Amino acid sequence: MLLNPQFLRTNAEPRSDKIIFIKERNFSMLKNELILKNPLRRMGYGSDDILDKGQFGAVMARAGVGKTAFLVQLALNSMLREKKVLHISLDDPVKKVSLWYKEVFSRIANQYEIPQSGQLWDSVLPHRFIMTFRVEGFSVPKLEERLTDLIEQDIFKPDMMIIDGIPFGESVSPDLVKLKDLVGQHPMRVWFTIRTHRHEDPDPDGTPRQFIPVADLFEAAILLVPVGKQIQIKALKGAGAAEDQPDLMLDPATMLILDPA
Amino acid sequence: MKKDIRNLRNIGISAHIDSGKTTLTERILYYTQRIHTMHDVKGKDGVGATMDSMELEKERGITIASAATYCEWLGHEINIIDTPGHVDFTIEVERSLRVLDGAILVLCGVAGVQSQSITVDQQMKRYKVPCIAFVNKCDRSGANPERVVRQLKEKLGHNAVAMQLPIGLEADFEGVVDLVSMKAVYFGGDKGEEVRLAEIPADLMQAALDRREILIDQASMFSDELTEAILEEQDVTTEMITDGIRAGVVARQLTPVFMGSAYKNKGIQPLLDAVTQLLPCPLDVENQALDMNKEEQPIVLSNEIDKPLVALAFKLEDGPYGQLTYIRVYQGALAKGDTIVNVRTGKKVKVGRLIRMHADQMEDIDTIPAGYIGALFGIDCASGDSFVTPGVSLTMTSMYVPEPVISLAIFPKDNKSEVNVSKALGRFTKEDPTFKAYVNDETGDTIISGMGELHLEVYIERMRREYQAEVDTSPPRVAYRETITQKAEFDYIHKKQTGGAGQFGRVSGYMAPAPDEDFVFENKIVGGAIPTQFIAACEKGFKNSMVKGPKMEFPVTGIRVVIDDGASHSVDSSDMAFQAAARGAFLQGYAKAKPVIHEPIMKVVVETPTEFQGAVMATLNQRRALIVGTQDEGPFTVIEAQVPLSEMFGYSTDLRSVTKGQAQFTMEFLTYKQVPQSIAEALMKKAAEEKKNVA
Repeated sequence: MLLNPQFLRTNAEPRSDKIIFIKERNFSMLKNELILKNPLRRMGYGSDDILDKGQFGAVMARAGVGKTAFLVQLALNSMLREKKVLHISLDDPVKKVSLWYKEVFSRIANQYEIPQSGQLWDSVLPHRFIMTFRVEGFSVPKLEERLTDLIEQDIFKPDMMIIDGIPFGESVSPDLVKLKDLVGQHPMRVWFTIRTHRHEDPDPDGTPRQFIPVADLFEAAILLVPVGKQIQIKALKGAGAAEDQPDLMLDPATMLILDPA
Repeated sequence: MKKDIRNLRNIGISAHIDSGKTTLTERILYYTQRIHTMHDVKGKDGVGATMDSMELEKERGITIASAATYCEWLGHEINIIDTPGHVDFTIEVERSLRVLDGAILVLCGVAGVQSQSITVDQQMKRYKVPCIAFVNKCDRSGANPERVVRQLKEKLGHNAVAMQLPIGLEADFEGVVDLVSMKAVYFGGDKGEEVRLAEIPADLMQAALDRREILIDQASMFSDELTEAILEEQDVTTEMITDGIRAGVVARQLTPVFMGSAYKNKGIQPLLDAVTQLLPCPLDVENQALDMNKEEQPIVLSNEIDKPLVALAFKLEDGPYGQLTYIRVYQGALAKGDTIVNVRTGKKVKVGRLIRMHADQMEDIDTIPAGYIGALFGIDCASGDSFVTPGVSLTMTSMYVPEPVISLAIFPKDNKSEVNVSKALGRFTKEDPTFKAYVNDETGDTIISGMGELHLEVYIERMRREYQAEVDTSPPRVAYRETITQKAEFDYIHKKQTGGAGQFGRVSGYMAPAPDEDFVFENKIVGGAIPTQFIAACEKGFKNSMVKGPKMEFPVTGIRVVIDDGASHSVDSSDMAFQAAARGAFLQGYAKAKPVIHEPIMKVVVETPTEFQGAVMATLNQRRALIVGTQDEGPFTVIEAQVPLSEMFGYSTDLRSVTKGQAQFTMEFLTYKQVPQSIAEALMKKAAEEKKNVA
């Protein structure tokens, strides 16, 4: 007797709600388990999404500290909740970004000893789409064109977008304004990585200089700061920045968010 | 063959489909008096053009195989290879450009740069072949040579410069203005054989002067003499301009553009003049070989006929008189009776008959000197083999052979056809490295692969005509797999003890999924429940059961079997008994282990002009693809997807259709994944029907 592999169903295969499949229930439970274990819940944000639709969030750190790893974990959390993530990279090719996700997911699955992680991975993969550009070839109108293509062709409609690698300098503000309009038309949450530099002193409150001119456009901002042998995840803006909220840590060995529990 | 190599031109004629290559070659042969009558490619007289000698070519009006010929013009000897325009026959272009010194890129005056124009341009780049462009069909409605020149610059990145101006266009196309001599050229007589020079029409004079300025400016980039003459306001002679342009062409930094209409017999003679004046002779081209004694260090070959022979076989044809091998000699000379060595096989061969080709006609010759192309009979070799004088350790690099993109399963209709299919495939695969044939070990099907549907269609038709081998075709069968998805226990007794020698064996344990393995067998028997000597038989029984899965008879994979208990009989237990017990245990456990069907998933990477990426993604989406991502590469986008192999049949045709032939894709095996329920049901239904039919 063959199983009904509903976890691999495509849009062409409507699910029968009349039958509960044990396998699918198991996967739902597995997914929920991983979602509940999401350490970011402890940062005090109102929802797992952290941002509302149409809002911007930034993850800031020096090169190599863990911005991409952090955002990949955010993305995986969304994918587990069957939200669609569009990951745009201006630094890395598709293969490398894909590897990031695979690697981080494997580590999470190992950490929490999730069984059938391979099949779970197959079930969340359709919720991610990677787009890469060269820095000089990237523009908001181009992104809009690509996004429209994806949505109109019914290929992929993102709930969350990650933009990894935009150089945040003086000229980025107009682009961000245009992007804000764009996400207004296609409601989604957008996370950016901002690379800070050792030679640039931040503000007294620790806010990186690149962020200050555009801070108004962002509803959440997270700073990753090496502290001793670990990396502190510090919320600079947004609900997680409230004084009574604990800071989380990133394990530099696995690049996973450490669960304080 | 003439002796002065400086007056020799080895050229190819390449272009997109139906640009007029074969018609152009027909005119060239006529005006050089190589032939005395012109025929149309698909003319009413049914004769066909000279270079399309295959019946199939004449019937379909397409060039399938490249054809070589030679002619003379203005004291120059010109070897010409006319090539096909369809991407299906790309190997013909590949092998021709590998051995030629120059090329004419033919472009349609209406459509301009098309998909195969881009491909042949890339092929010319690969082999560093200088070219001149010919904008054909200037008599057609919508012809615009100026637009084509622009496209050459924008789409192919050529430094294109018009050498002529059209006098009239479309139905009013009369001739051309030669911007070097500043004369109008008209083509009279029945077949355009009378070239008449005249003054430039007054209304075209200004445009001619402007274009000439541009031409001179471009030519001066490659000629100090011309630059000096311009700066010092001296007379600029036609020789200075021609020399400058020639230097630019040979350096592959300038593409002079000519125009005309081959079908209307206009513009061919000036093009021939340009071949002799602007394209390189063998001495102008640096040819390299690799020294096998010095770790393949490149060595520049000399064209001297006194030096040791170095030659490259670039095409084979198996005919009634044996194998005809087309060869280009790069150094030394190849003479009848010579003993030469095939570098790849190390075998010495004696040169028998030497031939020079004129389409499908042969002319016996005594020698092929350096710089020339000829053919040999009676030498068994492969395309791309190098031949050298004994003792020489040099070899030439072969031509690039693209991988096939489409496959078909073929089934001979009767026994006679089966034998003939085998012969036909043996010959075709030897002649055409892009046409492959093999037997699928799993399904037993004979699979043929090629560069496109037309490619395979032509070979199937040739099998029928030349070998009387009739075949049916179908998409290749997909190699599905079965596996289990949960742990299941088994406890099976195989017993036949009804009198006399019996059989007894009991096997107990469990099976579980092992996703990264094919088959894992673990023996956890304690206390000798199954005697040690029978453990191997148990393993064999389980392994044999996996060859054809119980559900759909697909191979089973990804199973870990652990035996932890059992029983034996002192007399009736044997290897055979435990094999049978293991088989029974397998079936028992398998049924409880929630078996599923897996299908091969391919990693598909499509490279497409960015303007088509939406359409390409739609084609993938329609084929159950999981699109992993897109990589923006400026004018091109690379799309990566994971697609079930069963959905990929015919994809190359679809992709060509939505991208006007400008996209390419590669496909490699990635992994096996579970098929969706609907597909599993369809497969089961099909298997049941097949069983019913067989019964």
